[in-house]
Amino acid sequence: MNSATQTAVTGNLDTDADALRRKLPAQDIFSFPFRSERGIRFLVFFADPLTDKELLGEQVVRPLLRYEGTPAAAQVGENLTAPERRAESALDKLAEEVLAGNPVLLWEGMDKALVVGTKKVFVRAIAEPTTDVAVKGPREGFIEDIKINTSLIRRRLKTPALRIEMLNVGRRSHTFVALCWLDGITPQKTVDEIRSKLRRIDIDILPDSSYLTHFLISRPHSLLKQVGTTEKPDIFCAKIAEGRVGILADGSPIALTLPYLLVEDFQSSEDYFVPSNRASFTRILRLLALFCAIYLPAFYIAAQLFKLQLFPVKLLLTIAGSIQDIPLSPSLEMLLVLFVLEVINEASIRMPKYVGMALSVVGALVLGETAVSAGFVSTPAIIIIAFSGIGLYAVPNLIETTSTLRLIMLLIAGSIGTYGIILFTAYLLVCLVTTENYGAPLLAPLSPLIKHDLRDALVKYDFDALSRRPVALRSRNKRRHA
Amino acid sequence: MNRISARQLFFFLACIAPVGKLVLMPAQLVHDVGNDLLFPAAINCLLQSGAVFCVLTLVRSQKSFYTLVAERAGRAAAKIILALLMLFLFYAAIMPILEQSLLVQNIFYDTLPSVLTFAPFFLFSLFLCAKPLSCRGRLWDLLGPLAIVAFVGVLAFSVGQADFGALLPAGISGVGSIFKGAARSLGWFCDSAILLVLLGKLEYRKGIALRGMLFYLLGGAAVLLFLAVFYGVFSDIALRQIFAFTKISKYFSGITVLGRIDFLFIYLLAFVMAFYCSLPLHACVECANLLFGDGKVKTPLYSAAVNAVMFSLTVLLNLSFLRTGEVILYKLFWIFLLFCLLLPVLSVFLRRTPHEKF
Repeated sequence: MNSATQTAVTGNLDTDADALRRKLPAQDIFSFPFRSERGIRFLVFFADPLTDKELLGEQVVRPLLRYEGTPAAAQVGENLTAPERRAESALDKLAEEVLAGNPVLLWEGMDKALVVGTKKVFVRAIAEPTTDVAVKGPREGFIEDIKINTSLIRRRLKTPALRIEMLNVGRRSHTFVALCWLDGITPQKTVDEIRSKLRRIDIDILPDSSYLTHFLISRPHSLLKQVGTTEKPDIFCAKIAEGRVGILADGSPIALTLPYLLVEDFQSSEDYFVPSNRASFTRILRLLALFCAIYLPAFYIAAQLFKLQLFPVKLLLTIAGSIQDIPLSPSLEMLLVLFVLEVINEASIRMPKYVGMALSVVGALVLGETAVSAGFVSTPAIIIIAFSGIGLYAVPNLIETTSTLRLIMLLIAGSIGTYGIILFTAYLLVCLVTTENYGAPLLAPLSPLIKHDLRDALVKYDFDALSRRPVALRSRNKRRHA
Repeated sequence: MNRISARQLFFFLACIAPVGKLVLMPAQLVHDVGNDLLFPAAINCLLQSGAVFCVLTLVRSQKSFYTLVAERAGRAAAKIILALLMLFLFYAAIMPILEQSLLVQNIFYDTLPSVLTFAPFFLFSLFLCAKPLSCRGRLWDLLGPLAIVAFVGVLAFSVGQADFGALLPAGISGVGSIFKGAARSLGWFCDSAILLVLLGKLEYRKGIALRGMLFYLLGGAAVLLFLAVFYGVFSDIALRQIFAFTKISKYFSGITVLGRIDFLFIYLLAFVMAFYCSLPLHACVECANLLFGDGKVKTPLYSAAVNAVMFSLTVLLNLSFLRTGEVILYKLFWIFLLFCLLLPVLSVFLRRTPHEKF
């Protein structure tokens, strides 16, 4: 057979090596030939930067140099000291393994090759994620390596019911994606549906798990968030224990969970480690903060432009005093302040840490103070936008949606007034109510009203009241604890 | 989302249906019967709750109104009745939408803006009417509690200023006037006609008809309470207090310190009202779906057509609101009698087994 058209290992070492080299022409793919004591010819293919060469020498080459047996695959395999090894004959698969960092061992007279797991793993240390900080509770966070991430999950869920299925996504990146669920709890239909959607994904590369969301939701163009995200294994495990499916992607520290309910983002892991009345209070506080953040600037503009009655008389006088010399219209003024806030926000995330402090001084003091004293913007506008900016971060996982909503509300309030705000809210409500993924309504348990699930929604009940899993997720096993 | 549960229906009957009766109806009743305004409203509530009961006895069959009529009288008759019902629903939507339009122009702005300010309502309505009618159930789950909060809020701010003695002596306007007032306010009690369109989408639960009626009566009681407080606050000048729910709490003493804090509840009621006003149009689109077939393109087209015509009517009739009200509520009140009372009552005969329990 011509090595160019060859698809599987033949047993002729030279032909097989040529065929594999043709598939892997990159310069960082090396082949290392050696002979055993009885003269059997071996050849190891490996990707230089990805393979642990020391381990390869120790666990593969050294034992085989002293090998005195026959070329039978089973015998050769038994002589290796590497615990992770697998026979494979398809050349495409072998090439994939080499590119993934696992060396491939070929030898004369055998129509199978051995894939050896001596991949070199470059990982950063497990640290507390910056987006999911908790004062009480576990501090571990996911990292970019999928194996370590799955091990973090396995460590928390030591049950055979935990299923982790590896899939391959990305035509060129061949990124590993792990589908995690608890057998007997998660509805099989949900697992099958997600699996089939993941298998149908046809993209070049998968740089991050967030790329998957587009393919997994019913309304990909919606402004609303439809997939749960977390960087913490404890939250991830809690979510799959409720009957959700978890998805991890190699190279991404952000795990996805489905189906997603909007109330999830008003809950924090800490809520479960503090007394329930405190947890309820903070949840309601988050909701109020978010409402204020979205609506306060809009109502301020609408009241100034269309309905001054909304202000108490004394406040109206104060506001009138501070805006009388402002050259901009109220909506333009508010948009300007919001624009500056967004720019400062964006710049402070991207810029080097060392200049961050300087930026804060320039942003907060110089821009804010000077703009007010120069008469460009009024003090109430700055106070409202500052509060709104802080309020949005009370629910950080929704920041993309809520900051856009705030801007839209502001534009509507400036053009139509309060009735516009009411109608846009009504429109949003219809969108929220009609969005559903994998049979779970986005707004559950508030709409449809699920009495049982309200125990852990905006108000959190005591541990004893939460003995059953959320009804909205339709988990197969209803009881969580006695 | 394919079905409306009994709970969601009860939320509609008890909390959302009353909201539409708080805008112009109170002043209209005062105009007709003075301090006896509770009587015509109570008569309509009782009659309408009976009609609601009759319609809800059909829920058990789990069939749409069209199918039920078709099974009894044939498809041609069913189509004619449904087409008439569709036209009626459109007709019934005119007053609430004109009301809403005036409300927006008068209450949401310090100055009197153009009627076009109300145009975004039709964009929202177009969007909502293109959704399946059954999505209303989930909306009612949220709007129900919101309506309660808003209603209680508005009443809490106003009940302290009410002098209920103003309602006495009762019955001085005479029986004739009371019935005349009831007839003239029939236009605000179209809920049973909407329920006819909801048939087939409502989930059956034992006793749904009786409970539905009781919940409707509960909503009616809330309206009566509101009317009593309204007349108690304004007494003889109540006649001039159109947009009653926005005016009733304005004498609350805390307003000087807190500003018009009652507007939070008023806006909340207006929010619920936006959904309520578009419901007849939504039901109209649903009728069109049944008559002419539905689809991803057809339903939005019906919705666009219905809302475009209604928008044009709103613009045209805006300046002649009083004349329109006279024609619809005074002269053509029998249309409401026909579709909101007679048709629902007659629909009882569509039941296959007349002796089954409700």
